[in-house]
Amino acid sequence: MKLSLNWIKDYVAIPDDMDLSRFAYDLTMSTVEVEATHDIGAAFNKIVVGRILAVQPHPNADKLRVCQVDTGDGAPHDIVCGGSNLAPDMLVAVALPGSFVRWHGEGEPVEIKQTKLRGVDSYGMICASSEIGLADLFPPRQESEIVDLTGFAAAPGTGVAAALGLDDIVLEIDNKSMTNRPDLWGHYGMAREIAALYDLPLRSIPAYTVPAGTPGFPVHIDDPDGCPRYIGVRMEGLSVKPAPYEMRVRLWKVGLRPINALVDITNYVMMALGQPTHAFDADMITDCIRVRRAADGEPLRLLNGKELALNHDDLVIADAKEAVALAGVMGGEKDSILPTTGKVILEVANFESTGIRKTALRYDNRTDASTRYEKAIDPERCGPALSLAMDLFARIYPGMKVTAFTDAYPKKGKQAEIDVSYNWLDRRLGKHLTQQEISHKLERLGFRVTFTGDNMHVTAPTWRSTGDVSIKADIMEEVARMYGYENFEPAPITTTFTGVINQLQISLVRNIEEYLACRCGMQEVLTYPWMKEEFVQAVLQSTDGILELSTPPSPEERFVRSSTLPNLCQAVVKNERYFDEFSIFEEAQVFCDRDYTSPYDESEKLPSQRRHIGCAFAAKADTPEEVAQLFRKVKGIFENMPRYTHMEAFRFTKDVRPVWADNTVWLNFFVGDRMAGSLGLLSKKVSLACGIRNLTVMLAELDTEVLVPFRSRTNAFVHLPEYPMTDYDISMLVDVGTTWADIEKSVLSKRRELLHGVSFVDEYRGKQIPAGKKSLTIRVTIGSHDKTLTSEEIEACAHAVIKTLHKDLGAEIRGK
Amino acid sequence: MNEKLTQICAEGERAVASAKNEIELQEIKASLLGKQGSLTGILKELPKMAPEMRPAMGKEINEVKNHLSSLIDARREELLLKASEIPADFDTTVPGIPPLQGGKHPIKQMRDDLNDAFRSMGFEIFEEDEITSELYAFDKLNFPPNHPARESMDTYWIAGHDKGQANEKLCLRPHLTGGSVRYLQTHKAPYRFVYPGRVYRNETTDARHERAFYQYEALIVDRDFTFASGKVMIRSILSKVFGREVPVRMRAGFFPFVEPGFEIDMGCLVCGGKGCSVCKNVGWIEVMPGGTPHPNVLRAAGLDPDEYTGFYVNIGLDRLVMMRYGVDDVRLFNSADLRFLSQFR
Repeated sequence: MKLSLNWIKDYVAIPDDMDLSRFAYDLTMSTVEVEATHDIGAAFNKIVVGRILAVQPHPNADKLRVCQVDTGDGAPHDIVCGGSNLAPDMLVAVALPGSFVRWHGEGEPVEIKQTKLRGVDSYGMICASSEIGLADLFPPRQESEIVDLTGFAAAPGTGVAAALGLDDIVLEIDNKSMTNRPDLWGHYGMAREIAALYDLPLRSIPAYTVPAGTPGFPVHIDDPDGCPRYIGVRMEGLSVKPAPYEMRVRLWKVGLRPINALVDITNYVMMALGQPTHAFDADMITDCIRVRRAADGEPLRLLNGKELALNHDDLVIADAKEAVALAGVMGGEKDSILPTTGKVILEVANFESTGIRKTALRYDNRTDASTRYEKAIDPERCGPALSLAMDLFARIYPGMKVTAFTDAYPKKGKQAEIDVSYNWLDRRLGKHLTQQEISHKLERLGFRVTFTGDNMHVTAPTWRSTGDVSIKADIMEEVARMYGYENFEPAPITTTFTGVINQLQISLVRNIEEYLACRCGMQEVLTYPWMKEEFVQAVLQSTDGILELSTPPSPEERFVRSSTLPNLCQAVVKNERYFDEFSIFEEAQVFCDRDYTSPYDESEKLPSQRRHIGCAFAAKADTPEEVAQLFRKVKGIFENMPRYTHMEAFRFTKDVRPVWADNTVWLNFFVGDRMAGSLGLLSKKVSLACGIRNLTVMLAELDTEVLVPFRSRTNAFVHLPEYPMTDYDISMLVDVGTTWADIEKSVLSKRRELLHGVSFVDEYRGKQIPAGKKSLTIRVTIGSHDKTLTSEEIEACAHAVIKTLHKDLGAEIRGK
Repeated sequence: MNEKLTQICAEGERAVASAKNEIELQEIKASLLGKQGSLTGILKELPKMAPEMRPAMGKEINEVKNHLSSLIDARREELLLKASEIPADFDTTVPGIPPLQGGKHPIKQMRDDLNDAFRSMGFEIFEEDEITSELYAFDKLNFPPNHPARESMDTYWIAGHDKGQANEKLCLRPHLTGGSVRYLQTHKAPYRFVYPGRVYRNETTDARHERAFYQYEALIVDRDFTFASGKVMIRSILSKVFGREVPVRMRAGFFPFVEPGFEIDMGCLVCGGKGCSVCKNVGWIEVMPGGTPHPNVLRAAGLDPDEYTGFYVNIGLDRLVMMRYGVDDVRLFNSADLRFLSQFR
């Protein structure tokens, strides 16, 4: 919302020497956020009033003229101009060299320089209204029209800002910061707040008195809950004409476009007091005003041309025949101010907030009026609004006559009354304030305070009683903000030691994230909690059991994440364009439309929600050997994860193939009897369906809730060997179907005192290897706890291993 | 005899000097000083000499032996040094080999930094589910029945669960505070905890607005806790996160679940408070709403608001991380774009 400082000064005498930035700061700290302060006059620097002395043709251009202009500095200047309405003695706005204008009213401001235009020197520029940002205030009536200031009777050389009353500061208030303060949505309310903040007197709006003998006007309120108050005033002797310039310029400064005096008065009252009003053409209203619920399907064409079919929840203003306005939102087109209007029914009414909000939203038709009503306006505000409106009508239309008047006020508001313990306030504030200090601060804001012993009885003013202030915490807030949050000295925080915080499961997940990121070289990503349909179909191959959003970001993104993998595949597609090899992971919750439980509150049933970690590894891997390398890398990450992150180890086995996995290259991992996750090669088919073009992808997904963290770091110390251990490599040929697990089992099948372990070194298939065979190299560790072994003893042990391998698996030693 | 010794010594010196490696040196040593070595040979002839000449001769042989031994040792040293000699044109400007290139998401890094900071102040970490009911998303938080945020434009409701009573309507959590109420209900006051997590709002996105964002809530509930202490808490946390003193101010603000409510601003770190485009020339940046938990929220948690009070803040991590690195488009955080994410190691 925009506020004019001069307008505020109508109601509160802000000292002229008030530092503007301090003022904006104080308001921001205690009341509302001032987003910006605009010095309107500053934009008109070096733009002055000039008097055209003569207009002559331009020697080199048909459409241009050369004007002699008196800009107040003694000597007339030649200014080249293409204006269509140039005439001697006209007062114009001259942008002198060094000023800024917008060419043709568009783009960024550009600096005016003394220059030659088609060969003729031009000292600045004679401006059109759009070029100096005044198009709304001086709408051009023809093409190339320059703004005519003749009516302003200002001496040449006077700054345009001063001549036009534009020297003002406009405060821009963040609307969000005053959603709870309906009283602040106008200049008067802000003035009241400022008066309280700075202890300045507030001027009141002189009350309007209905002329004696004025007849009543039939106003029927069928729904007093929806419309607690309706003032209707019938007036004659009016006409559609422009409002006085002072009124137009004020509206313009706060962002409204002046229309005509009748409409402008209603807008002016709204901006002044925050109270919307509406003017009907009295000739279009049949018999009476009736405030009622709309009939279902009842038609109404709004002022902005929108055709509505209303429903019963909408409140309308109707006459004896039909709806004439959508209450609190917008007038109907047929019955509002028309070019011929001479009689008006002025509406100053109060409507219930929720209904107005719902109606405005239902028709996507929020207006300045509905925005104010939906904050819950105090019905008492109708009084000053009426007074101000009637004063303006009387001044602009001296022949105006009130022919009927009714103030229907079926439902008066209640002032909020709150009891606060002084002692409680003292404790919560952490700062001792005397009863006088507290009373003074609150009374400045319109509260009434009486102390009885420890009790403080507070009565809120009507304008703070529509929901804004209702409990004692609200009173504390009023006192604290008026005292100034900055004036409370920082207070230390006391800690009571109640034991070490040890949250194993939370620490475990963080350990895993750090393990993946820091030890395994993976990048963590975050994606949205919904999945794209094409990736759901490709990766999960079914949408069964997946929750859907009722208002998704887009129809194809309606699926709520049931697995981390579809989004990771989408991320692979995205990154494949830039990287040949990468691995990513995401820790996220996954949801399924089943296993509804009440984990917190018995009245709730919440679906299955588990915390997963998904991984995707993408690399160029075209040959089986390269795939084997990628597989081993991925498996290694999960094999080693328990050891690095301090949890119970995984058991790898093939139990259930993930739907997205290759037929062969996949594994499940278990913790005890519970499946903790799976890893596998993304099958070619799924990969293509996802649109992955060049890279081979392995996926893994882990259910972190199955993992069992150790209470501390565990593994036991092993004594260092006193005598040397020897690594002995054995290369052998085995059938291609023989697995490493078979070899390991065979080697360890017999207890051998000197054998201290066996590990995998390498597997090779190639030309030199006979068909149906592969070469496998293993490493056995041989040593004794009692002595240094001789080479014969080592060989003997190795040969015993070889013999067993031959016997169990038909292994042949290579090259022997 | 003497000449022979001189000759052996000279030949030995030559041979040692020309030895090219350790093996040659070993052979030379053996040929001179070994069992069959020439010097050993002369020594063996010593008993055949005239007794009066033996001491002098013996001494001379020993001297030659020591001389050659030390030459051999010196030559060995020389050869070892030479073996490790690096050419002078070795290029030290060649880039190093990087360690494994991975990283945590920048928002999670911030989350963990905050977790560490709050834990050091005795806060517990709380986590909770992302799908919740309207009861905990709004009702328990003092949102009036017709609060705008309840409408579908702001919250992602779950299809098939978007009608009926508040406890039957399910949505992706629009904020964390409902979860905080769950904590309050299941723990015994006083407490202090933080609650990091993602929240979702049905909004139009642009460089400054997102549908999914990371929030970080901190809540203290105790018998007497003034907001002046809250200010100290916020200032310590921000200073820890940014590694320098961060000015903090609290000003009037309104949120349904606190009373009184504050907007908490931090001094703009880009311009140092002088005013710049990042802070829209005000020198302050709005980082979090906060305040004293609303009496209705405390009541919903089964606490007597006359007895208990507290302090609550809700930090928008996205905003804070944008500040930390100068990121200008919030949507990058959920883009999974490694060109972006890999910048935060």
